[in-house]
Amino acid sequence: MNITSSQPERTHLRLGFVALSDAAPLAVAALRDLGARHGISIELCRQPSWAAVRDKLLSGEIDAAHALYGLVYGVQLGIGGPQADMAVLMVLNRNGQAITLSRPLADAIRNGASVKEALHSLGRPPVIAQTFPTGTHAMWLYYWLAAHGVHPLRDVQSIVIPPPRMADALVEGALDGFCAGEPWHAVAEARDAGRTVAYTSEIWPDHPEKVLACRRDFAALYPATARALVRTMLDACAWLDTRAHREEIAEALSSSALLGVPRALIEPRLATSDGGDARALPVRFFDEGAVNYPRVSDGVWFITQYRRWGMLGADIDDAAIAASVNQTALYREAAQAAGIAIPGERRAATFCDGRVWDGGDAAAYLAGFEIRA
Amino acid sequence: MLRVLLVTDTDKPIGDLREQLARMGYDMLAEAAAPSALHKAVESQKPDVVIIDTESPSRDTLEQLAVMNKAAPRPVLMFSNDADQQFIRAAVGAGVTAYSVEGLAPERLAPIIEVALARFAHEAQLRQRLAKVEDELEQRKVIDRAKRLLMDRRGMSENEAYAALRKRAMDQGVKVAEIARQLLSMADLL
Repeated sequence: MNITSSQPERTHLRLGFVALSDAAPLAVAALRDLGARHGISIELCRQPSWAAVRDKLLSGEIDAAHALYGLVYGVQLGIGGPQADMAVLMVLNRNGQAITLSRPLADAIRNGASVKEALHSLGRPPVIAQTFPTGTHAMWLYYWLAAHGVHPLRDVQSIVIPPPRMADALVEGALDGFCAGEPWHAVAEARDAGRTVAYTSEIWPDHPEKVLACRRDFAALYPATARALVRTMLDACAWLDTRAHREEIAEALSSSALLGVPRALIEPRLATSDGGDARALPVRFFDEGAVNYPRVSDGVWFITQYRRWGMLGADIDDAAIAASVNQTALYREAAQAAGIAIPGERRAATFCDGRVWDGGDAAAYLAGFEIRA
Repeated sequence: MLRVLLVTDTDKPIGDLREQLARMGYDMLAEAAAPSALHKAVESQKPDVVIIDTESPSRDTLEQLAVMNKAAPRPVLMFSNDADQQFIRAAVGAGVTAYSVEGLAPERLAPIIEVALARFAHEAQLRQRLAKVEDELEQRKVIDRAKRLLMDRRGMSENEAYAALRKRAMDQGVKVAEIARQLLSMADLL
């Protein structure tokens, strides 16, 4: 099969995104018309919630989306909502998320208190927000709390509110902290509402974050379109790998049509270097393709966490589910046509609690967690 | 009696459903307008059904409650396993989404959904009709001004002026209003 000559079955694609700095690859693709080389045009459709992203993917109102890794798996597994067969076409970025706590809590930790002591000092269950029940931020937050000896389901009230409302909620005292994407932590700090106490790259270095998601039948019915879209997004991710380009896109993202947040709050935490804090790994979009391969073991990790937190009890083959969701073959075709290297199937990482996930025995990995639902 | 919560945090007049649903015998709870208020409203008032704009920023708040709290309403309208694509599209298009507690028989939820869908489909029709009327009014104004221009400059009667515009429109295969617009824009140059 001559892949490079196969024409996209669909030439105009509507892509959903949520107002976050790591929607940068979509913004680059649309603003620079990077799809033209691959025979597609891209229309960006900003969505007010992840629920809307899901619904519109399922109804066909949007063709693909910048989505939380965990959102795709939540829909695939039918956790708390509709079930549908989903596809992860590629990973769009790694790192770049954070946990912010209110000023008093952050100050206590800075002055030497443990996370557990600081939260306990409130004398009531802390209210900590994230962004979607099966999403990445929920999983980073729960993992981080548990690693600090705090049970995320029993010791904390975990709620969801829209990220643009997080800073206000901290100021009003409705929240004690939150885990979300940027630029909302920078916004909270600028308003003096709270301080960033942890970067998600400290929880799982180079963790997968947003993916390019679509319905499974879209990828199956329009494979040439899906490949063209992956190639377009690979071009966009590669473009983002220079400092000057990150600055350029920070300016573009600040527009009211995209994020509507001042550039000065977007740019530092979108930088190629340390994001202003030496503890944080920078948000990565490409790294010669090391970022983008939809490694099956990354998907399996999310399923282990749903089991850990009692969100999934079904006796299913986790690895088989992940292998059907993550479109590794399609990605390989697109990346190889672009001359981009495919990284290894396994990647070992040491998490903040010292545990190692290498994509090996998921059941043993899961059994090793002391704090769980 | 089913307890219904309306979330009114967008431009869509979800609140307008209150009266009609109350008349149909539903127990209408106090509205929730902010994400933090929504969380409290669901926990304390325990609604059986929540009606919310598909474009509401508060929807993820409900998704969290649905997953973490067994008694909380779950998304049902759009994607029950047997829901057909057309219906999903209609619901998303009309801009209304419903969440209901597990075990609630679909036939008990159906009338509420129907009222919401009918209401917002009706609104879309009204908006379209209003836009059409406004457009027609605008066209008539343009044609009147063009006629007056011809009457003033060419000494035509009103009927002659209209006939002239109409003939030109037919020759070019466009609307009379379009010819009138062209004439007026050229008149500025004279």
